[in-house]
Amino acid sequence: MKREGWFAPYISPYFWRFVLIILLGALTVFSASSLMYTSGFLISKASTPIENILMIYVPIVGVRTFGTSRAVIHYIERLLGHDTILRILSKMRIRLYNILEPQALFLSSRFRTGDILGMLADDIEYLQNVYLRTVFPSVIALLLYAAVVISLGTFDIAFALLMALYILVLVVVLPLISLLFTQKRQREVKQERNSLYQKLTDAVLGMGDWVISGRQAQFVDTYEADEKRVARTDAALRGWARLRMFIGQAIVGVGVVSLLFWAAGQYASGAIAGTLIAAFVLVVFPVADAFLPVSEAVEKIPQYRNSLERLAGVEVDEEHAVAAGLTLDNTAAAAMDVQSVHIQLKNAGYRYGASESEEWSIRDLNLDIPQGKKIAIIGRSGVGKSTLLKVIQGVIKPSVGSAVINGMDAAAYGDRIPSIISVLNQSPHLFDTTVANNIRLGDPKASDEAIKEAGALAKLDTLISSLPEGYNTPVREAGQRFSGGERQRIALARILLQNTPVVVLDEPTVGLDPRTERELLATIFEAMAGKTLVWVTHHLVGAEQMDEVIFMENGSVEMRGTHAELMEREPRYRRLYELDRPAEFLSV
Amino acid sequence: MDKNLLGYKGVKPVFLIVGFLTLVQSLSILLLAKWLAEVISALFAGEPLKEQWGIALLFLLAFLVRHACAMLMSHVSYRFAEATGSSMRKEMMDKLFQLGPRMVGDRGTGNLVTLVLEGVTKFRTYLELIIPRMVGMSVTPVLLLLYIFTQDTTSGIILTVTMPIIIVFMILIGLTARKQMDRQLKSYRTLSNHFVDSLRGLETLKFLGRSRSHSESIAAVSDRYRSATMRTLRVAFLSSFALDFFTMLSVASVAVSLGLRLVNDQMTLVTGLTILILAPEYFLPVRLVGADFHATLDGKEAGEAMKSIIDRDTVKAEVLDRSVSSTGSVFDWHKDSELILNDVGVDYEEGGHSSLAGINLKVTGARKVGIIGESGAGKSTLVDILGGFLHPTSGNITVNGTHVSALTDEEWRKQTSYIPQRPYIFSGTLADNVRFYYPDASMDEVSRVVDAAGLSKLVSSLPNGLGEMIGGGGRSLSGGQEQRVALARALLSSRPIMLLDEPTAHLDIETEYELKETMLPLFAGKLVFLATHRLHWMIDMDVIIVMHQGQVAEVGTHRELIARKGVYYELIQSQLEGIH
Repeated sequence: MKREGWFAPYISPYFWRFVLIILLGALTVFSASSLMYTSGFLISKASTPIENILMIYVPIVGVRTFGTSRAVIHYIERLLGHDTILRILSKMRIRLYNILEPQALFLSSRFRTGDILGMLADDIEYLQNVYLRTVFPSVIALLLYAAVVISLGTFDIAFALLMALYILVLVVVLPLISLLFTQKRQREVKQERNSLYQKLTDAVLGMGDWVISGRQAQFVDTYEADEKRVARTDAALRGWARLRMFIGQAIVGVGVVSLLFWAAGQYASGAIAGTLIAAFVLVVFPVADAFLPVSEAVEKIPQYRNSLERLAGVEVDEEHAVAAGLTLDNTAAAAMDVQSVHIQLKNAGYRYGASESEEWSIRDLNLDIPQGKKIAIIGRSGVGKSTLLKVIQGVIKPSVGSAVINGMDAAAYGDRIPSIISVLNQSPHLFDTTVANNIRLGDPKASDEAIKEAGALAKLDTLISSLPEGYNTPVREAGQRFSGGERQRIALARILLQNTPVVVLDEPTVGLDPRTERELLATIFEAMAGKTLVWVTHHLVGAEQMDEVIFMENGSVEMRGTHAELMEREPRYRRLYELDRPAEFLSV
Repeated sequence: MDKNLLGYKGVKPVFLIVGFLTLVQSLSILLLAKWLAEVISALFAGEPLKEQWGIALLFLLAFLVRHACAMLMSHVSYRFAEATGSSMRKEMMDKLFQLGPRMVGDRGTGNLVTLVLEGVTKFRTYLELIIPRMVGMSVTPVLLLLYIFTQDTTSGIILTVTMPIIIVFMILIGLTARKQMDRQLKSYRTLSNHFVDSLRGLETLKFLGRSRSHSESIAAVSDRYRSATMRTLRVAFLSSFALDFFTMLSVASVAVSLGLRLVNDQMTLVTGLTILILAPEYFLPVRLVGADFHATLDGKEAGEAMKSIIDRDTVKAEVLDRSVSSTGSVFDWHKDSELILNDVGVDYEEGGHSSLAGINLKVTGARKVGIIGESGAGKSTLVDILGGFLHPTSGNITVNGTHVSALTDEEWRKQTSYIPQRPYIFSGTLADNVRFYYPDASMDEVSRVVDAAGLSKLVSSLPNGLGEMIGGGGRSLSGGQEQRVALARALLSSRPIMLLDEPTAHLDIETEYELKETMLPLFAGKLVFLATHRLHWMIDMDVIIVMHQGQVAEVGTHRELIARKGVYYELIQSQLEGIH
């Protein structure tokens, strides 16, 4: 994948729009320049004795036309530019989405720190500047450059070359120096700001710890020292920008004087009319306005690189994920109206990476889950619970052994899995729309009645009736309107509507207080009657409701059995269970 | 424009310098126009080239002076903006750390970090732009206009009339655009967030089997977003259109009127040219203000947001007894110290924590105090008072016989170590994280507490042992390991008071069990406050405070409370009930 991958493909479908935008941009400068040109010509002409007012009629019309047209053309140019860019952004978004979609279930493990998804979305937004701030201005400047040199060339080739040299400094030399000077510093500033961001986020999250430590002042001091370092680099950048502007203007000034004397010489030798001296000289200022910003436009290039690299990084990893053994076989998906599902794992083992040295994430797992069986899985973090769930969902294929659903490899179901297995995890995402729409995601064809039924099953009634617009109340961003327990209930209604024979519960009660935890579990168990449950849990509340409890350690099963069996047989289990329900509590 | 502006330190000299430079700049603009016009008209009149070098060089000089002034102005205002921005940030940071975690909870971590990093940058940009722009607006056009009036009244009138027209139009269009934005703000926000929302919910969509088809919805929403944006832009761009249109029209009118008067020999070419060159310069300051309008607006708002934090009051703990002069030794905690909360209350704050009312408590020496209650009962608020994060709004506290208004005092905090649900693990080595309270501790001491906190197995599995980088950018620790780091930290400090806020609820039950086994012996000889809704801790506590609806419902040992069959008993009952 080449670096231009996020940039070049959008040029050809919008080629004519691009051409139009650039032409309009050039026309904008042309109108502004022509206004000054014709004005200069007009008043020079008017100062000579003329027989008839009609002699200056044409320049007067010209002045008026150019005076009004610039604003209009510029307005159209900007609108067209933004419209085109927004179209391209829309395509980029879809493309990013389509790249991320197949790896959806690996995202959280791959990008552990930070809000990488938010950053990727910002990167796309940022890329619009590539066109608006860099490509268009630069191309327009080059186009005008050619136009200026050619039109001067028709008068005097030698002088045209001299001016070409001046402009070359403005559109090539200064931007290049700028790029060389700023590239490294900009990267430094960016990196240091990122680390400041990290440091400050850490500190604000750990505010209580800082306050208790009594070392707040120390933190503020080191933080300020870091900021000072960034500020120094930043000051150097800004200093250069000011100097560059001055150098640019100085070149313009010298250009004006050169043009003045050349025009006078031409006039003296009779090559041009005297009226053109003022016209030529006055045109320099508006034309220069197109050349001066090129340095700034080019300077931005390193900034885009960061975004492009991040976006490219996602794609590289995608190939990796596919290579890891994720093959979707849609043809194998038979009749999907299964209401009875039998999941079997035989000696299933999996390790990330193919090498022998890699540790097994899970190994020698045997599970037999006929329709309606309810199992709980418990173990420390990193013990292989998530891998086990992925194997059951067919997201990854076991490296050894087999994972079979109704006699067919789980992995072969591919995208059809959601019609068999639904998932309620620790933080199901609520989309920024109404409660009803969020629930309806479980089944887009569901009627309002069906949604209400699902809501009632999830015991949402009291909550919903307290909302201003009932089911049509917006949940706000990420469901902020609701508490953790309420969010889980909405998500529960959603998977009830999805109505699959198998439900995976992936620690849905972490972070809830005991009462909410209990009540939510009670609702879940009640609503899930008859369904297969695979429940990964961090507490043992409700374990007695399960047909089998499986304890995992280091990727394999440490102990398993019904709650009653384990209570009787395993002292360790008893001990843990008592943390949740201390039996001696009331008997003291 | 901004009443705060004149209050910043060192702003007056900056205004003076910028004012002076603007004056010089305006004069050089006048001169460069005049000299350029003179050269052109002389050459036009056919005078020999050689004689014009002098004036031409003068023009170049004036031109360079003009831009040198711009460069200097920008330099001066940048320096000022940088200095003011930094000192504002420093003030704000100091204040933030004085206000403590309460404030963070109210404002949100993300918001605060963005305000410190981006807000300061925006504010700096604002300061950097606003002074030269304000001065430029008020000096240059006036000066140029005066000069033009002395040369040619008609042009002067045209230019004078245009200015208010431009300003009125820009305000009108700005208001219309604003109104339109406001009208569709809600749907606009939803549309613009839709993509991020989709990416964040990708996993959920995948589970629901909707992820493939959702791609179409992204396309549709993107398209609607584009139309909405374009509708807004059509109006928003009108303001710069108006600016462009009227300035250009005005320049064109000046040019035509000059032309007509030149034909009638009512003026000289030099004057005409001078005015023509000056006309665009007259509008330049307004155009610059227009171009930087949004940047300055954003920056101004950021500045106000920072100021609102800096201006917050921090209530300091005060000694209420006249006889005791300093707070210094009051807070020292030892075996027979005594802490009494007298009728302490906290009023409900916006966006915030549960209120407390009439809390009366007495704690002595080294004891294990459990604080239990349901969510919203006021556990965290009580912990915040005990930890010295929060100043109560009513009542007072007696420490070692001295009445104080609160525990929000450095000296009290120095007695306390703190273990929250998610301890602060910063980017650094494991050893440095353990040494957080006492950076000078020796490596031997660190190893000792690391062992005691049950981290030695982890340490021996790390390639760099205690020197391993953890936290952001380093190895990430599990929830249980984070708790152990905090524990090691607390042990190293040997502070006499330990404050634990829900340390284990989020952990899996085995980790919780092991952590509890490690922690309990380490509580010996300390005053421990442990707030949790995990009941199992309570058996090991010396005294239990049961919180209920913002009040202390019961205090006593486990046995006493069970025997009482009150709130505590009910709490246990409800948790012991099976599910169904």
